[in-house]
Amino acid sequence: MSFETLLYHKDEGLAWVTLNRPERLNTLNVQMRDDLYEVVSAIRDDPEVEVAVFKGAGERAFCAGADLTEFGSAPSPVVARQVRWERDLWGLLLGLSKPLIAAVHGHCLGSGLELSLTCDLRVAADDARFGLPEVGLGIIPAAGGSQTLPRVVGRALALDLTLTGQIIDAQEAYRIGLVTKVVPRAEVFREVEVLARRIMARDPAVVRAAKEAVVRGLDLPLAEGLALEATLKLKRFAVRPAH
Amino acid sequence: MPPVVVLTSRGDLTSIANDDTVLAVVVAWTSPEVSVVEAIAALQVPTIAAIEGPAVGIGVELALACDLRIASETATFQCPELPSAGGTQRLPRIVGRAHALELLLLGDAISAAEAQRIGLVSRVVPEGQALEEARQVAQRIAEKAPVAVRYLREAVQKGMDLTLDQGLRLEADLYFLLQTTADRMEGITAFLEKRSPRFRGE
Repeated sequence: MSFETLLYHKDEGLAWVTLNRPERLNTLNVQMRDDLYEVVSAIRDDPEVEVAVFKGAGERAFCAGADLTEFGSAPSPVVARQVRWERDLWGLLLGLSKPLIAAVHGHCLGSGLELSLTCDLRVAADDARFGLPEVGLGIIPAAGGSQTLPRVVGRALALDLTLTGQIIDAQEAYRIGLVTKVVPRAEVFREVEVLARRIMARDPAVVRAAKEAVVRGLDLPLAEGLALEATLKLKRFAVRPAH
Repeated sequence: MPPVVVLTSRGDLTSIANDDTVLAVVVAWTSPEVSVVEAIAALQVPTIAAIEGPAVGIGVELALACDLRIASETATFQCPELPSAGGTQRLPRIVGRAHALELLLLGDAISAAEAQRIGLVSRVVPEGQALEEARQVAQRIAEKAPVAVRYLREAVQKGMDLTLDQGLRLEADLYFLLQTTADRMEGITAFLEKRSPRFRGE
């Protein structure tokens, strides 16, 4: 598969999605949103893919946010709202049953941070910097960040970060739980591959069931979450292994 | 209503200060009541609690009703009695179930450092500087687009009571509403022209 703004590479069950507009700090434009929708749909449907990793091309950024040069030509809010739900990229990512990892280096801002928040795990290079500066631009995060960030770092820290628009470094991100690991810049992609392969060494059906139990369960009262867990366990044992 | 409200108490502080340069209001109280806590929680603008000394019982609950809590390094937090002004609901939603139960069941006082560790406060500053830090944070927030600030606060606070799907719909609706504001065009234009934005609050 080839895309205008992405590189896609499959390597023995591990899919690498590289945001590929390095001269624009990999900022998310309409084309990249469409490319992402296509590639994430492919990841969802491709039985060979078990885990997917997102990373940014170039030296400076994972993704510095939305491409603001396109914002002047935005359609009416009514049309924009309709388009938002017709091709719901963020819902697609958040609903993916396969594990997603973000390998973050450099700038990870705005919708770049929001993209990484749709992933299950975030690993940061030591030069990574994170922020949601939207309110300084007269908008709010629109790629799920107002919902995913507090669910990761808690509502108080999410409010502190988003109301002030401040940018934090990798160590601070680790301290508050935004990322699970910080590694030297030169090693981040290698470390993420090791992490992905460790996940892939386990039964993929079990991995997907565990993710579903955790992610769906967090939206349920505890009693219903426990019932969900029991259902997933039964489903697991009801599946006959292929010969 | 200014863009941000800062709450602080220094014992018997009774005056109300209105500082236009930082666009923050310092509210003092001598005998807080439950209605005050919920009135603070019901404010539509971001609220910051600047905690300099001991916060006990309803003092903790007042701080919990704010969006942000900033403490000086000598501040302490204690819930010696069963909370009746929202503490049993807000505390676990902010620090998690285990830390909340530890505080409520044991009634021990914890330090500002410990409070930061468990997420009860987001910033700890040297003694005597909590109010100044809160003013500076308020100033930073006050420089952002006012409607966007209110909508983001609403998206985060209300969204946490919804499922993720419902929260995402709330976020999207508020985002599209902001597309009708002049401040959005000003904010984006200012960014592209590499200058400071001049927001009007509409």
